Amino acid sequence: MKNNINKKIIELQNIHVDLKNNIETVHIIKGVDLIIHENTSISITGESGAGKSTLAMTIAGLELISKGKILFENKPIHNLNENDLAIYRSQHVGIIFQSFNLLPSMTAIENVNLPNEIAGSYNENKRALELLKIVGLGDRINHYPHQLSGGEQQRVAIARALVSFPKILIADEPTGNLDKKNSEEVINLIFKLQEEQGSSLIIVTHDQSIASQCSETIKLDNGLIV
Amino acid sequence: MILVKQKIFDFNFLKLSLRELKGSFNEFKIVMISIFLGVFIITAVGSLSKNLKYEINNKSSELLGGDFELSTTYQEFPIKIKEWLEKNGKTSLIIELRTMLTSNQSVGLKRRIVELKAVDQNWPLKGVPIIVPNKSINKSLKMNDNNNGALIDASLKNQLEIKVGDVLQLGKTKIQINGIIKKEPDRMFSFATFGSRLLISNATLKASGLVIPGSLVKYKIKFIPNNKNIDLSFLNKFVQGTNISIKNIKNSTNNFNSFIEKTSLFISLVGLITLLISGVGISNGVKGYLIKKIKNIAIFKALGAQNSIVFKIYFFQIIFIFLISIIPALIAGISIPFLLKTLISDSFLSTFEPFIFLEPIIISFLFGLIVCILFTIIPISKTYEIKPIQLLRLSAHHSLNNYSKKISALLLILIFALCFLIFKLTNDLKLSVYIFGVVLISFLILKGMTNLFFLSFRKLKFKIGSLLEIARKSLIRPDTFAKSIVISFSIGLALLITLNIIEESLEHKIANTINKQAPNYFLIDIQPNQINQVKALTAEFIGEDSLNAQPMLRGRVTAINNIKVENLKINKDVNWVLKRDRAFSWSNKTPKNVKIISGEWWPNDYTGPLLLSIGDKVAKGLNVKIGDKIQFNILGRNFEAEIFNTREIIWQNMDINFIFILSKNKIQNAPHSWIATTTNTNKEMNNALIEKIVSNFSNISSVSVEETYVAIKSILNLLITIVNSIAFITLLSGVIVLAGILNVSKKDKLYEVAIFKILGARPKKIIFLWLQEFLIIGLMASLISILIGMSVSFILVTYIFQIDYYFNYITLITLSLIVPFLITIVSFIKMLKLIYSKPLDVLRAYY
Repeated sequence: MKNNINKKIIELQNIHVDLKNNIETVHIIKGVDLIIHENTSISITGESGAGKSTLAMTIAGLELISKGKILFENKPIHNLNENDLAIYRSQHVGIIFQSFNLLPSMTAIENVNLPNEIAGSYNENKRALELLKIVGLGDRINHYPHQLSGGEQQRVAIARALVSFPKILIADEPTGNLDKKNSEEVINLIFKLQEEQGSSLIIVTHDQSIASQCSETIKLDNGLIV
Repeated sequence: MILVKQKIFDFNFLKLSLRELKGSFNEFKIVMISIFLGVFIITAVGSLSKNLKYEINNKSSELLGGDFELSTTYQEFPIKIKEWLEKNGKTSLIIELRTMLTSNQSVGLKRRIVELKAVDQNWPLKGVPIIVPNKSINKSLKMNDNNNGALIDASLKNQLEIKVGDVLQLGKTKIQINGIIKKEPDRMFSFATFGSRLLISNATLKASGLVIPGSLVKYKIKFIPNNKNIDLSFLNKFVQGTNISIKNIKNSTNNFNSFIEKTSLFISLVGLITLLISGVGISNGVKGYLIKKIKNIAIFKALGAQNSIVFKIYFFQIIFIFLISIIPALIAGISIPFLLKTLISDSFLSTFEPFIFLEPIIISFLFGLIVCILFTIIPISKTYEIKPIQLLRLSAHHSLNNYSKKISALLLILIFALCFLIFKLTNDLKLSVYIFGVVLISFLILKGMTNLFFLSFRKLKFKIGSLLEIARKSLIRPDTFAKSIVISFSIGLALLITLNIIEESLEHKIANTINKQAPNYFLIDIQPNQINQVKALTAEFIGEDSLNAQPMLRGRVTAINNIKVENLKINKDVNWVLKRDRAFSWSNKTPKNVKIISGEWWPNDYTGPLLLSIGDKVAKGLNVKIGDKIQFNILGRNFEAEIFNTREIIWQNMDINFIFILSKNKIQNAPHSWIATTTNTNKEMNNALIEKIVSNFSNISSVSVEETYVAIKSILNLLITIVNSIAFITLLSGVIVLAGILNVSKKDKLYEVAIFKILGARPKKIIFLWLQEFLIIGLMASLISILIGMSVSFILVTYIFQIDYYFNYITLITLSLIVPFLITIVSFIKMLKLIYSKPLDVLRAYY
């Protein structure tokens, strides 16, 4: 684990996540403390069901915690309501999903520009175009997701995650649906862009080779950091 | 940390909304058809009635044929009136009656009842008639080569297969068809119109000999005074207590206006109900669409979109879909008066010139918009419940049970707005509340019954491990979609069953009446000196018992118990009885099949003061009972009769039904005619008898009851077809919801297949399990629909239509099988390819 002297961006204090269904309550995260600094990368590893994605999604404000505190730049976000969490994501968080989650009715450029449109800044097509060029899709900006390969779709998703200059970039198993060659290209891109932008990268992965490229690695087991 | 709020009312979201809509238009086909139909009907009816009212009110003078119209029946106008009118302005005398016109073929002779109108040389005082070929009216009607000139409707030309130039027999004279009358300025629609127009001169009518004392002839004088501010007190005084009535421009169109208002209200209500039923289709369509969009909504939220932004994106889409559906509906609706111009001009309003009016467009637009928002606001508000985390954990089964305060408030406002618009449309608060009550209660019953069925299904148990038990468990799990599918399909099917039973009950009634009870023909205007010959002919052809002949004269009720009709307080349902001339009959013999409700029939040899038998419902409406006295004016003479009995009148039997039947003496010598019906199962002989009677007696007209029924039934069928199409659309919208649900649960089903296969199940067994599942859902929807459809139709048929409840088991079963069939087939087609997926691939790819 590498040390970091940068400013704290995220701090998790004894967080718990309980998921309830009609039959039972499952304790997914059972008391995790974690500090993530500015412009660093951290990987979350662990077995299936250990709570890796859930932990990452609490930072994204997509999963609500049942106990503990989450601080973003020393301000609590765990007590924000659904709408404020959406604004928090819109302004500070970029997410890359395993299954890309692009909107099928929109072209590559429209998908990339979507976070800006949601935030109300419509005239920044330039930034989306620039990012698509960087991820190597400058000539496919008007293609729809179904006209792109898996690797290309994930590159669009990376561009979309970075379009609003997020302070936090969360990648949840970003290579889970890709072959080896595409996986390497995508991971290289994520690290390259994260460094250039100065975002803090939180990457959920099974792959030790990916985890080792991060400045910090944590391993989860049964909802706890081990 | 500073969170900058997103701009909620930024209309740039409209662009985003439309981009998200790309490629999804197919999903809205049913929604668009539903909006189109409802709005189209309301716009078309609104535009048509507005145009007709405008036309009538603006051209009332032309339609009246002058500034005043005096009319009377049976007798010509007294000389004094004629002289006074001629002295004070321009007049035109018109005589109208019904007669039979016979074609001139030697083979396949055709006869038709015609509305004969005889005019003088001054006609028309206002407006210009259009005649084809173009000739003046006087030239067209004057005598030519010993034949009298005549004009006919185009429809009569086709019915009798005659052509311009043909010479036909009319009573004692011959007439030559000199042209087709395309536009008759003072001709207005009337319910009493039986046939097409035959226009001749007064001189020709005299020569025909058709006017005999007692025959039903209407005399009219059109009058334009020299002085606009003429004092009519002489006339008014003169006509008091007689059968002569005076119409002026203002009151001439009252009846027609009220007819237009009532008819357009009825059709608008059909349109409104269409729109409300369509609302269910719209709601289901949007629900199905949004189910497919759950992932997109989750992506929007994961990328930072607030709930209100997501709501707005989809709300804009619905409004956009609404606008592109409503514009063609409005255009189609406002073009109806233009498309019907020829038909309206030809059939009842020859001066008709349509315009585009804004009011019906605004009302239809508002109706459409309110219904569209009302029925989509709840499905759209469910987007609030979709969480972005559903991108990781597929569980689309969130439901919004407690709507937010804003949504509830909006719903309330929309309901009030709709109530207000319905009130504006009906001008009847009671009716508006009634419409809402029926819609609300129907929906609550449907929801309650569905819950009840699922509750009982929960209690049921099949053999453990059996496919039926697995299917049952799958259907009753907490997050099941089965209830939504059942409700979506039940609405359409219940409606279809209700309509079908109403249609079958009506048809059954009509068929039964025509075949068993109703007469075959009506014979009108039989003269007293002809009745014995008609009886003799009937006896010869089909037997005297087949003839029901009754004397008839016309008169008007002037007072009840010495209170003048204008001062009476009566039920408005029987206003029509007092409004104008009514037909009276007399009989000392108790009429056949009469059902006396109160009192008794007077003796056969009764010769005392006039007694009266009155229809029971009319008596109740007029608040009269046995012993009360009614005053009449018949042919200018005043009579008083004492009510001696009340009797049931069954209008549906289509036989001769007089509201007023008097005792015989004192009245039998008044000029009168006879009306008769013939009833016989031997149609050939009956037709031969009618042919014989009308050829022997040119003044007697015949009307075929069967032909009248066919005309009424075709209007009824048109209405039923429209409502049936809407029911089918509602049923199709159920398919959309089903398809949407199947798409969402595809992943769950794939997983289910993988697990079943890993556990050793063969594809056949899985197919069988699913078929059972969908069949149960379908059967449940059918059962609920049958129960609701049969109960609603029972109430409507028994209490509203007041006829026997009748349905055909085979049709009912066939209809009920539509839904299980649809659900099973659609589901099977959608799910079939999942069966052949490889279990390990599925588990690797998705889990």
